[in-house]
Amino acid sequence: MNKDRAVKIIHEAMRRGHKTLSEYESKQVLAAYDIPVTKEILLKDKNHLEKAVAKIGYPLVMKGCSPEIAHKTEKGLIHVDIRNIKEAKKAFNEIMAGLKGVDGGVLVQEMIKGRRELVMGMTRDAQFGPCVMFGLGGIFTEILKDISFRRAPLKKRNALDMMKEIRGHKILDAVRGMEAADKIILADMLINVGRIGMEIPEVSEIDLNPVIIYKSKPVVVDALIVLEKA
Amino acid sequence: MANKAKKSGNPPTDYERIFHPQRLAIIGVSAEASGAGFGTGIFKSITAMAFAGEILPVNPKGGSIDGLNIFKSVEEIPGEIDFAIIAVAARFVPDVLDACRKKGAAGAEIISSGFSELGTDEGKELERRIKEIAAKGIRVVGPNCFGIYCPASGLTLLPGPDLSRESGPVAFIAQSGGMSIDFAHAGKWMGVRFSKMVSFGNGADLRETDLLRYFKDDPETRVISMYIEGIQNGDSFFKEIKTTASKKPVIVYKGGLSRAGARTVASHTASMGGSGTIWRSILKQANAVQVHDTEELAQTSLAFALLPPKTFSGISVIGGGGAIGVTACDTAEAYDIEIPPLADDLQARIYDYLPKPGSSAINPVDVANPFVPPQYLKEVLLAAAEDKRIELQIIVSLLYHYKSIAKTFNKTVAEITPYKELARVIREVADKTGKPVIAVLPNAKRGVDDLDIIEMIALTKKEYVDYGIPVFDELHDAIRTVAHVNTYYGGKNHE
Repeated sequence: MNKDRAVKIIHEAMRRGHKTLSEYESKQVLAAYDIPVTKEILLKDKNHLEKAVAKIGYPLVMKGCSPEIAHKTEKGLIHVDIRNIKEAKKAFNEIMAGLKGVDGGVLVQEMIKGRRELVMGMTRDAQFGPCVMFGLGGIFTEILKDISFRRAPLKKRNALDMMKEIRGHKILDAVRGMEAADKIILADMLINVGRIGMEIPEVSEIDLNPVIIYKSKPVVVDALIVLEKA
Repeated sequence: MANKAKKSGNPPTDYERIFHPQRLAIIGVSAEASGAGFGTGIFKSITAMAFAGEILPVNPKGGSIDGLNIFKSVEEIPGEIDFAIIAVAARFVPDVLDACRKKGAAGAEIISSGFSELGTDEGKELERRIKEIAAKGIRVVGPNCFGIYCPASGLTLLPGPDLSRESGPVAFIAQSGGMSIDFAHAGKWMGVRFSKMVSFGNGADLRETDLLRYFKDDPETRVISMYIEGIQNGDSFFKEIKTTASKKPVIVYKGGLSRAGARTVASHTASMGGSGTIWRSILKQANAVQVHDTEELAQTSLAFALLPPKTFSGISVIGGGGAIGVTACDTAEAYDIEIPPLADDLQARIYDYLPKPGSSAINPVDVANPFVPPQYLKEVLLAAAEDKRIELQIIVSLLYHYKSIAKTFNKTVAEITPYKELARVIREVADKTGKPVIAVLPNAKRGVDDLDIIEMIALTKKEYVDYGIPVFDELHDAIRTVAHVNTYYGGKNHE
């Protein structure tokens, strides 16, 4: 746990007048709280692309990254399953063009393969303070609303209860040739999301969506941290 | 602020003198023939309840009421007082409250209105003064409330001259006076017996969290029910309800859960975490039982009061009615309760007592005919209880059918229906087997043509209630309350 590192990132963003953290910054905050995130490198300079790509390894994902953009998919700022340098360069050019001068860069990210997508998050309730969410992720989050909440701080038991509580809880088991998801790691992630809420009042909302289960291990693939209006 | 002052300076609240006062001042009682306000109303109610202590009426005009001298001021009362009921106009309340404090009262309920609920500066200022005085060492219930009901002492809610004096294990906390008086009346015929009930109105001093803390350790209270609109402090409320629920069941009806509106949020998490969702989670996390209307609140309170403190995973359902078996199974499944087929030998034994054809001894046991004699039903219940998987039994009696044979025997429905014997038999079976039996009395005939049936059912319920048998109108209600009991004790054991 490295609260200071997380707070530093947040204060720096606030100093620049940002209302949200970029995906890259959000994940750095999460990583400071021991939450597993994708391996990724943020680039602005195309000359560094080859080195970055070599470090992450194929296949990879490239995304436009800026605190000023929220809905990346709709703006053509996500390129997935990139398998060679030619594709990577093309993606880089397209993303930079798509950013249209917005302050940001290109995120070169490992591609997490897994058919199970979860969501985690944190919201501040007016009465009860930071509450942590768990549920089915990806496109199902808003369609099925299969979610559960607990008030922070969470104990391991609360985190396990949250997982059991959603209707689709069986997808965490070993199903259809997939390994059972590691519930201990999932529980720790939920506990730590709650901890961010408890320890950093500047964070008003958190979305981790999707959290993809790779084999048995959950990894945060996309993240958004919303900051308190200063 | 008020609480802080209390923690630092004042002695702990003497709830005993609040709920069981020996000397009770009622301020705002009018002398005979000079009209009847709230003060006189509460005086008459408390007298009608045969209040156990001494009543000391107060009114500046003096006079007398029901043979009691009316003191002209609180100061004029000789000696100390334990508790006061204040029913004077709002602007006089702070001074009267302070006088009660100086008279040594442990607490006061203020039934007058005209405070913060008006939203006026004057009203808010008066309430602020009440808080100030409370912080000096008198606990306040209200203002703008119906007060305290305590069957043991005879303290009663504002319009409650005819509430039960029989005490029981259920405490009730609510802001709403109307909700309190409704539940107090409903409890009387439903069989819910109260330890104490507090309607705290504006809650200037004593509120949900303080009262939870008190009832948590109150030996007269085994079950706590509450109706919540808003709470003052989410953090202390959560901690209190969680610790309380780890000791005894807490049943919560949270009102005002409709989608909270205009908060603008950027994340999916925040948009999905509306107040209803968060409350549901909070109550689950605290292992409190959430109910969704007053009826369910009362039914659930009854079940917790009368059932032993454990879970019931397998039940039997015995009774009549065409679709009863299907309804029972569907409902039970929805609540994760099993209705397992009885062991073969038990089925054979039960079948001997059932009319043929048309009956079924499997479980649910369909008795096929509403006139099976209570002694036979007793044998059926005894046999079903022998199955190890059966932990609780529900007997559904369609007693309204007795009207169809009453005329033949030239008797009234109440005379022909063997409800007294049924109640006795059910009690005997529950005692003998150690497995609780819940009774269900559906009545399809509730129109003006069948007031005699309504009367008979009411008499039956009273008989059951007197025997301590939980009784409900519908099978669904019965199964749902068992599910609540299961959720609570399941969660508790999980701790």
